[in-house]
Amino acid sequence: MKVEKVEFDALSRIIGHLNAISVGVKQAIKPERITTEYPRERRKLPDNFRGLILFEKDRCISCFRCAFICPANAIQMELYDNYYPSIDYSKCIFCHFCVDSCPTTALKQTKIHDVAFKDLDEMVVHTDEMATPPELLREDKITVEYKINGKLVLERKREVEDLIVDVIPVKRIEYHSACVNPQNCLGDALCALICPTNAITVVEEEGRRIMKIDTAKCTGCGLCVRECPTKTLGLVRREG
Amino acid sequence: MLDAIFEMFKGNMVNIPLIQPIVNALMKIPIVNYIVALILWKPFFAIAILPGLGGILIVLLLMVYWERKLTARVQWRVGPLEVCRPLRGLIQPLADGLRYFFQEVIVHVEAHRPYYVQLPILTFIPVLLPILFIPAGEIVAVRSQYAIQIIVALIALIPITIIAIGWASNNRFAYIGTVREAMMYFAYEIPFVIAVLAMILMYGSGDPYVIVEKQTVPGIVMNPIAFLVFFIATLMATSRLPFEIPEADQEIAFGPFVEYSGILFGIVMTLAYEKMYIMCLLMTILFFGGWSGFAIPLLGDLTPAIWLFVKAVVIMLIMALSRSIYPRFRLDQALRLGWTSMLGISLFSLAIAVVKVWWLG
Repeated sequence: MKVEKVEFDALSRIIGHLNAISVGVKQAIKPERITTEYPRERRKLPDNFRGLILFEKDRCISCFRCAFICPANAIQMELYDNYYPSIDYSKCIFCHFCVDSCPTTALKQTKIHDVAFKDLDEMVVHTDEMATPPELLREDKITVEYKINGKLVLERKREVEDLIVDVIPVKRIEYHSACVNPQNCLGDALCALICPTNAITVVEEEGRRIMKIDTAKCTGCGLCVRECPTKTLGLVRREG
Repeated sequence: MLDAIFEMFKGNMVNIPLIQPIVNALMKIPIVNYIVALILWKPFFAIAILPGLGGILIVLLLMVYWERKLTARVQWRVGPLEVCRPLRGLIQPLADGLRYFFQEVIVHVEAHRPYYVQLPILTFIPVLLPILFIPAGEIVAVRSQYAIQIIVALIALIPITIIAIGWASNNRFAYIGTVREAMMYFAYEIPFVIAVLAMILMYGSGDPYVIVEKQTVPGIVMNPIAFLVFFIATLMATSRLPFEIPEADQEIAFGPFVEYSGILFGIVMTLAYEKMYIMCLLMTILFFGGWSGFAIPLLGDLTPAIWLFVKAVVIMLIMALSRSIYPRFRLDQALRLGWTSMLGISLFSLAIAVVKVWWLG
């Protein structure tokens, strides 16, 4: 197929020029730009924004779920009085699977998305550093909200938004681990080894090793359930 | 001898009631009175302050900022902002100018050294010469019956200096830019001259005073076709965007001025704006009633100059919009436009003028 030269008649040319000029004038008078002058203005972010992750030690039950679910292997558990997460931000992809998976909301999302690190070593944020939000230099005095009702409109307000989100702890369903299929038990005591609170003790009974679970000590973290090779253990709802 | 010169200055001074007490006080101080008399001497005032160099300086500072800011606005950007934030980056051109001033001027080995350094400064001659003949009411350097013709002739000198600059740079981009400049000169000059000719025919004189006097109805209404040609020719002559062919940042990196740096670049960069200013002054006189406007008693003789300046600046501000709307023509397209459509409609505007003068009186 031969490509033919496109011809315009004089009238359509003039209309085209007038169109171009009218669009230019319209934009010059009232531009539809959506630029925020960032350090001075800040875009209003939703509360569930996936920013820097904060950690509250008191709520953590050391269940390792954050470390297991992390797709980028950014979370390492560090041993203090118990195992607590630390995040390597050079690996973190801010998917917030850890925050979602945390059963006790010990990991919390914030709206902080502009953090600078001096070097790669500093990007490994340890547990004690995760407890407090980083030092922030705020230059912004205006918060910009993007509103879409047919057209994107920017709404500027003279206010400073708090970047730390108040996370209300969820009312957690309490679990404890129990031997749901005792006939499967091999007696390898892997559960007793993994248990962070030493709730599981090994008892010799009739020549067999039997695991005794102290439900008062059990935090319901489910590590033993995960570790058990024969699916003997399971989490059951705590009574009362 | 000195007294005779002083008397000459004193006899032809700009009268501004607003600053008259200060002038009177200064005229009593021995040496200062010579300087004040010189500055307020009408021919010197026209060249050095308004509509001359002072006007050019204001235009440069304003236009560079306005152009960047307006283009940014149309293209959904913000534009220069960080230099003096409370004024939204208003003094950005001044900061750029200062930077040019302290930057090293590099004269490369293959350049023709004397011409390379001289020509940017020599270009001020054809830029300032037309201002001699542009009157602003009483403030005028040279009064002539043929002022408009002389201004058009002197404006035609500016491309020659640009071509000389490109030649002295001895660079292939500069060479391409120079050739393009010469080609564009051919494209716009003849329609431009014919459009001016049509207006002169209409007013029956090349004397700006007669022209302004005869414009009870502004020239743009009397002959809009001539205005259109004049407008497009101005865009072509000053390398505004649809015809930014000689400079063409993206292709040949500022064309004839590619080798310049430091203050010399600062001077050559402003050349197009200066040319634009002069052509807008001419446009104001021919099409927008020149310096006519209501009188401001406090400013006295300065009123017409202010009117002329404000009108020219407003035209320039509107003209800057073309930069944000249009892409660049190819050289052959611009030449075709110049030699077909523009030449045609300029002849048509001449015909309108002839009909108006001969048949309608």
